[in-house]
Amino acid sequence: MRPSHGTCLLIWISVCLALICGCGSHKTPARSKVVTLQFWNGFSGPDGTTMERIVRRFNSEHPDIKVRMQIIPWGTYYDKVTLGLAYGGAPDVFILHCDALPRYADSSSLLCLDDLIAKGDLREADFMPRPWQACHWKGKQYAIPLDCHPQGLYYNVDLFKKAGIVDERGNAKPPADLKEFLADAKKLTIDTNGDGTPDQWGFVFTWLRTNYVTFLSQQGGSLLSKDSRESMLNSPQANAALDLMTDFVDKYKIAPRPEGQDAWIGFQTGKIAMALEGIYMLSSLEQQKKLHYAGAPCPMFGRQRGAWANSHLLVMPAKLSPEKRRAGWTFIKYLSDHSLEWAKGGQVPVRKSILASPAFRQLPVQYEFSKQLPYVAYLPASVSINQVLPFADAAVEAALCGIKPAHEALAEADRRTREVLERE
Amino acid sequence: MKKRARLRRPFSASAFAAQAGMMIGALVMLAPVVWMFSTSLKPESAVLDANPKWIPNPITLEHFHRLFTQAQDFPVLRWLANSVFVACSVTLLVLIVTSTAAYAFSRLKFPGRDILFMVVIATMMIPGQVNLIPVFLIVQKLGWFNSYFGLIVPCIAGAFGVFLLRQFFLSIPVELEEAAFVDGAGLFTIYWRVILPLAKPALATLAIFTFIGAWNDFVWPMIVTSDISMRTLPVGVMIFQGRYVTEYGATMATAAICSVPTIIAFLIFQKRITEGIAMTGIKG
Amino acid sequence: MKSRNQAPAAALFLLPYATVFLVFVLAPILYGFFISLHKWYILAPRPEFIGLRNYRMVLGDDLFRLAMLRTAYFVVMVVPVGNALSLLLAVGLNQNFRGTAFYKVAYYLPVVMTVSVVAILWRWLYSTEFGLLNHYLGQASGVMHGVLPKVFPATWKTEWLNNPRTAMPSIALLSVWWGAGGNMLIYLAGLKNIPRELLEAAEIDGASPIKRFWAVTWPLLRPTTLFCVVMSVIASSQVFGQTYILTGGGPYYSTLTVILYMYQQGFGQYQLGYAAAVGYVLFAAVLVFTLIQFRLLRVKQ
Repeated sequence: MRPSHGTCLLIWISVCLALICGCGSHKTPARSKVVTLQFWNGFSGPDGTTMERIVRRFNSEHPDIKVRMQIIPWGTYYDKVTLGLAYGGAPDVFILHCDALPRYADSSSLLCLDDLIAKGDLREADFMPRPWQACHWKGKQYAIPLDCHPQGLYYNVDLFKKAGIVDERGNAKPPADLKEFLADAKKLTIDTNGDGTPDQWGFVFTWLRTNYVTFLSQQGGSLLSKDSRESMLNSPQANAALDLMTDFVDKYKIAPRPEGQDAWIGFQTGKIAMALEGIYMLSSLEQQKKLHYAGAPCPMFGRQRGAWANSHLLVMPAKLSPEKRRAGWTFIKYLSDHSLEWAKGGQVPVRKSILASPAFRQLPVQYEFSKQLPYVAYLPASVSINQVLPFADAAVEAALCGIKPAHEALAEADRRTREVLERE
Repeated sequence: MKKRARLRRPFSASAFAAQAGMMIGALVMLAPVVWMFSTSLKPESAVLDANPKWIPNPITLEHFHRLFTQAQDFPVLRWLANSVFVACSVTLLVLIVTSTAAYAFSRLKFPGRDILFMVVIATMMIPGQVNLIPVFLIVQKLGWFNSYFGLIVPCIAGAFGVFLLRQFFLSIPVELEEAAFVDGAGLFTIYWRVILPLAKPALATLAIFTFIGAWNDFVWPMIVTSDISMRTLPVGVMIFQGRYVTEYGATMATAAICSVPTIIAFLIFQKRITEGIAMTGIKG
Repeated sequence: MKSRNQAPAAALFLLPYATVFLVFVLAPILYGFFISLHKWYILAPRPEFIGLRNYRMVLGDDLFRLAMLRTAYFVVMVVPVGNALSLLLAVGLNQNFRGTAFYKVAYYLPVVMTVSVVAILWRWLYSTEFGLLNHYLGQASGVMHGVLPKVFPATWKTEWLNNPRTAMPSIALLSVWWGAGGNMLIYLAGLKNIPRELLEAAEIDGASPIKRFWAVTWPLLRPTTLFCVVMSVIASSQVFGQTYILTGGGPYYSTLTVILYMYQQGFGQYQLGYAAAVGYVLFAAVLVFTLIQFRLLRVKQ
């Protein structure tokens, strides 16, 4: 009728159209004979360089598959993976830590690999049992383990020799059980300038969470019950483990309070004689030219052997085209076959054949740490493990820093864990 | 400083104390901001000083230079561009969208007008953070995640603008419109040629508030973007928490870059801001 | 005059705003409540309707209750102190001293800064080793140390953000610094609205400035005060940015606020239903508290 109304209408229609057109554009996949795989992981630093090398070799040996690797720092990695799986843009092959597997498998986001495994290229007999088991959820298998990174004892060879803790041949002798450990640590905690605070410590707690899991598994305990339905944070074993850790600080005085300081730097700079850390810290030690270190299995502090471990698992998303599935499986198998190369960067392989090979035994620290594979302790398989871990962390930290008594801290963590498990 | 005619009061100790208090208070309030700018201009070696110096000597632009040249570590230029684009787009869209709505609410008669307006105003009282999750899900459904659409469009639906402009439009004499109507103007022409020009002060006030609010928005841009290159300055500044937590000079430099536009905008448009706030307060 | 039906024209004018408002303001409020009635992990194939079970679990959640306490602690610290300071500053500005324009700028400037800049700046100020706060406290204490060595330490090394007892008050302090200027301008507008004749009459009657304030200004300022306090409570109960950036809820959950907990549940654990319920419980609590405030501070004519 009136031009002004018409102009009005035109303007709003174009605005609305513009908005609608902004609603995401969908790209049609290009058809070609080369299958492109998006491979995501969080391997920053030397790990990433090692993996890049392996990927490059794979691409050159397989002209019909092109793997595009994207490294996303672990801090934001799981957010991107989750949102990608939920809303599109998920990778075709990616890495998950063991403890992350349950929540992705439970929500049917991962491809079940039972059919592919049945074909026989990768068999259960080829793998160490615990890492292989960790790839299962509710009876089905969703992943292939790439490696295992257990915690082990790093010790300063020079400091050991200076303190006279050597074997018959004059090599530094790491402790094997609690008695030896406490004796060694006492000798290695030295106050050189007499100001009351030791300048050299026998031991230090680095990552509290993994240290606690090690101590806990050696007491025969666990964060959650076997079926992951109940909290075990207030069990006698949980309390015994934490009490022993606090004793190191308060009673035996062989470790400093773990507040504020970067404990690992203390070991790197030779001020601390022993630390329990993961095999992945190896590359940070190799850069310290003046440091003479060695590795050994964790001493047995409790009534059985145990060591925290995690694994990098190779998984594929549930919604994957058949040709990407085949290509992805080829890539996964290749990575597993070449896990010796990966181990050189500071990991422990889980293929039995590679573990037995002479080439692997040439990697001293990895070899020592790998001795623990039969009894490594993974975190409990639970969809809520991510919620539960901060409670345990807070309890361990509060106890070690003297903020709360250990049993009170654990009781609080236990209560909160129960609430979370009830919400499942 | 305009000298106003004031009651001639004899010199009183309390007035002097009050003035001194105001001055000291102002300096204390400004101190952190001055410190931020000062640190950003200090050479790295002088940043961690046991005896903190307020005036950097020498003054150096090394941190700013580093930010602009090491884009792979700190894509500050990209963040700056994003902030400018998003804040300007939001402001422009808000002006368009709220002025037309305010015109309808103030000048047009239609059933349910007042009820609808009350509904709009009621939402001003709802804590915005509660909406984060549903808006996030809606944006995902629209495919706007990690895009400029997602950064801009959800931010233009504030009720404040509609409220402010409607108040102002109501104060415009009806005669002006009626005159235009008699001359044969349609409703849109009246809106465009009569109301808007008269509403320039209110539009300017709304624009400056919207710009500052959009520039400073932190939570929503953080939630709706996952790529570092899509972030705005307030979110980008957080990169100095993890790896770069010890880069104090670069941190303060980025903080300075983020703050300068809004500070300048505030200094220029002080009157508008004061009036706008006064209007909210009085009506509330 | 305008006897034509204006509804179609009105619809056109309202269309753009209505679209955005419906999609991004109204729908989320209803959708959010809808989500809160479901158990919904973001990757779950379909959300599971569980009625009000989320709300029951939220109310029984140890951490949620802790977060409510921490948030209330924050509100109790920030709202009275912040509003008192804002009012004081407004009274000061209203005196029209020399330099009022400068004061106005100085006090309002923090308001135009974004929360992440404010947080990162104050983290630097609160730094144990290099922060200005510890530096000047140390200087003052060091001087007193010569006189009373047992009471005043030679240096000041408080870990403001790392100590569970001082973390939340530290965040409250910086929040007051950040927001005082905003309410100051509102109080100033309120003060300017008070008729001069009343104040002058009181002055002629011989009332002191303080008496004038309490007898004349304060009662007439009630609507403004009510508005500022209510808005302050609503805003401070939603505190998120400062705690997220500076402490992440720690140390030992001493700075865990409700919206931070909601964010952790929704965007950390991706439990969307539960997180939505957390948000709505807070909303209900704030709503009830606001209504109580309206009754208590009701304007007496």
